Amino acid sequence: MKKSTTNAAFYVPYGLWLALFVVAPVLLIIYQSFFDISGHFTLGNYATYFQSGTYILMTINSVVYAFIITAVTLLISYPTAYLLHYAKHKQLWLLLIILPTWINLLLKAYAFIGIFSQDGGVNGFLGMFGIAPKQFLFTDFSFILVASYIEIPFMILPIFNGIEELDQGYVNASRDLGAKGWQTFTRVILPLTMNGVKAGVQAVFIPSLSLFMLTRLIGGNRVITLGTAIEEHFLVTMNWGMGSTIGVVLIIAMFLIMFLTGERKRKGGRA
Amino acid sequence: MKKWKWSNLYLIFVFILLYVPIFYLVGYSFSAGDSMSNFHGFTWQHYLDLFADTRMIQIVVDTLLLALLSSLIATIIGTMGALAIHRTSRPVIKNTVLSMNNILMVSPDVIIGASFLIFFTALKIPLGFLSVLMSHIAFSIPIVVLMVLPKLKEMRQSMLDAARDLGSTTTQVLTHIIMPFITPGILSGFFMAFTYSLDDFAVTFFVTGNGFQTLAVEIYARARQGISLEINALSGVMFIFALLLVIGYYFIQQGAQTRKAKHKGGETL
Amino acid sequence: MSNNTIIELKHVNKTYGDTVVLKDVNIEIERGKFYTLLGPSGSGKTTILRAINGFLDVTSGDVLFEGKRVNDIPANERRVNTVFQDYALFPHMNVFENVAYGLRIQKLPKAEIKTRVKDALHMVRLDDLADREISELSGGQQQRIAIARAIVLEPSVLLLDEPLSALDAKLRKDMQYELRELQQRLGITFLFVTHDQEEALALSDEIFVMNDGEVQQSGTPVDIYDEPINHFVADFIGESNIVSGYMIEDYLVEFNGKQFECADAGMRPHEQVEVVLRPEDLDLTAVDKGKVTVTVDTQLFRGDYYEIVAYDGAQNEWLVHSTNPAKDGETVGLTFDPEDIHVMRLNESEEDFDARLESYEGE
Repeated sequence: MKKSTTNAAFYVPYGLWLALFVVAPVLLIIYQSFFDISGHFTLGNYATYFQSGTYILMTINSVVYAFIITAVTLLISYPTAYLLHYAKHKQLWLLLIILPTWINLLLKAYAFIGIFSQDGGVNGFLGMFGIAPKQFLFTDFSFILVASYIEIPFMILPIFNGIEELDQGYVNASRDLGAKGWQTFTRVILPLTMNGVKAGVQAVFIPSLSLFMLTRLIGGNRVITLGTAIEEHFLVTMNWGMGSTIGVVLIIAMFLIMFLTGERKRKGGRA
Repeated sequence: MKKWKWSNLYLIFVFILLYVPIFYLVGYSFSAGDSMSNFHGFTWQHYLDLFADTRMIQIVVDTLLLALLSSLIATIIGTMGALAIHRTSRPVIKNTVLSMNNILMVSPDVIIGASFLIFFTALKIPLGFLSVLMSHIAFSIPIVVLMVLPKLKEMRQSMLDAARDLGSTTTQVLTHIIMPFITPGILSGFFMAFTYSLDDFAVTFFVTGNGFQTLAVEIYARARQGISLEINALSGVMFIFALLLVIGYYFIQQGAQTRKAKHKGGETL
Repeated sequence: MSNNTIIELKHVNKTYGDTVVLKDVNIEIERGKFYTLLGPSGSGKTTILRAINGFLDVTSGDVLFEGKRVNDIPANERRVNTVFQDYALFPHMNVFENVAYGLRIQKLPKAEIKTRVKDALHMVRLDDLADREISELSGGQQQRIAIARAIVLEPSVLLLDEPLSALDAKLRKDMQYELRELQQRLGITFLFVTHDQEEALALSDEIFVMNDGEVQQSGTPVDIYDEPINHFVADFIGESNIVSGYMIEDYLVEFNGKQFECADAGMRPHEQVEVVLRPEDLDLTAVDKGKVTVTVDTQLFRGDYYEIVAYDGAQNEWLVHSTNPAKDGETVGLTFDPEDIHVMRLNESEEDFDARLESYEGE
């Protein structure tokens, strides 16, 4: 049939891409994780990862940071998305949310170097109240703040879309059945926009696990995430095997999060 | 109403939060000093420095060319992919392909960067413009697919049947019916791919060699050396550029929406 | 206002910019009856419903509930419940939780919630579906759950916004019986919105016919069918032949160039009027015995009758329902009784119309 041949033709470049840039790299990184720095097959990388406390600690650290960043982002973003939905010129507001994402990440990080520096904006502001300059740059606080700042739009957008998709009919029905605003929110709006929240969490948590540029520029190497470790091994110490091993851990973490936040079909009864 | 004001106050607060760093950055590009503290009086000097910095200009041009080229190619391959996925009838294959499509969407940048680095090294592809271009194409394709697919789904089968019934060949159906219908999706895909490319730092950082720099990589290198207000001036230029891009995107969206509204107009009231 | 009145709309207007959606609507709704708001789409019937359940602020006028103005009371505090057009069943809850929703909001004890949900499900005859997900229900079942979810709160008025429009013809008919029965069993007021005149005639104690944001006529189905107030109502409800004519004097009307005895009075002599003749009131007869002579154009067999389209000498179309077939192209006579004629004045207000009917029917 003609249809199937044209379809096959469409699949060629796309399929080639899938094979070369999706499947092959994942397989390669797994493969690479079984080799040591001098190119010999080994399970040593995994042994190192699990036995030396530093890698485990680093992983836990990384997860904790990502968790805090995601939580902060979510707390700021949900109300924003919700209010945005009911705002008058929401297309315009939305545009203003998107705009900062078009400014290169590096430039925004760079801005915070200025803001947080010893004689920068924040200390200048505090100085007006007679507070002595404080060290902001290269602290956990500044790292979390800047990371959250960068991720906020990526959390707002999926939540906003989720709220937009919510049928106003459900909200009306809930009010009709006697629920007050807050009750409607917790019992109807929030559960029905959970998919947007999950998408947002996915979009923020995974990148947060692997930030490496921010840890260097803002965290001043005090904060080490999985991402920093991978970059270090690949580009500094050239120990690709160890880097790949951490990469595999990150990939597994990624699938775990996808599974946890993915849509699952509920079967009967209450969940 | 009371509620209205409070909610707007919160929105305004969030927007200030989002824009303070950007305006801080752009603001100091006009400062006569040499650091981002204590505004020292207005000057265009940093802009003049920027435009005299041929290395920087070259990098900006390279970055734009890279973004344009990679997003164009990614749009073509991605659209073909979306068409192929849309026509796949077996749900198992369809879902598998879709999941694979999404792997790069959710993968952290470092993983993409590191795995591509292994890939290029294994294939002995030299690190430089070519490897960066291929990487950018690769990570932009899935977003194009995701932008085009919903448009294809929106398209009713009966419309295609009607075109065939009226005598169109498969190719004519594609060019006369399908392509015009999904054009808004393709354009959104192109725009997204373009921004992905402009915004990328991590992947490029991994797969680029010494010979080729993108703006993000260059800023990273300079930022690690300390503050130079030339970068602030660059931010000012980039901000204007982003503003133009966003406005362009907005009009594409608005166009699609007014068309939609026109369709619906007859039904309401 | 009698003390049986539960809801009253007084001089209610609603405008969006220049668009007038409701024009001076006055409605009185009594306890325990089945009311229908009937009208074409865009006639304002759903707007009235939303003014009552609180999802719409009226531009002017009062909405009264048991004599108290409720314009400013939010929807969740109004003692009416609604069955929405698309049901709006919460997709993240199962059937039981949907029905229990309003009771949980009231923080009732668990045991009471359980019994009341059970009773409500029994009322709509879906006792066994409590544990089902909403996505597993058929359209008809969803409809009944939506009703159960509303009646479990024992509202004094249940509003139904075109609840049958999404169902297929057969199911619709069945649900009509059930709704009527349910209303009688519960004894609460139903205010039902529909654009289907048959549905309205079959179900209602009283109908409000709406058009262009105005109540055209209100009354029992029989009153409205037999004595439509104007061209719109006569045309929208049932099928009719409407011809223009002149009132010669009381009980004598002229149309088609002839004078006929009729049962209407109270108009000015020689006033221009419209005359309604229902197709089922017309009988075919020989030309010389007929009051109007027509030529048969087409006929359709409708099962229990033939629907005949015929034209008179002036090319007016006549619709006739006859138990016997006619022949295409045949010239026949049409006959009818004086009481089959219904005369309508042009632009008569409902008040005047009622007063006029009162004056001569009372004699």
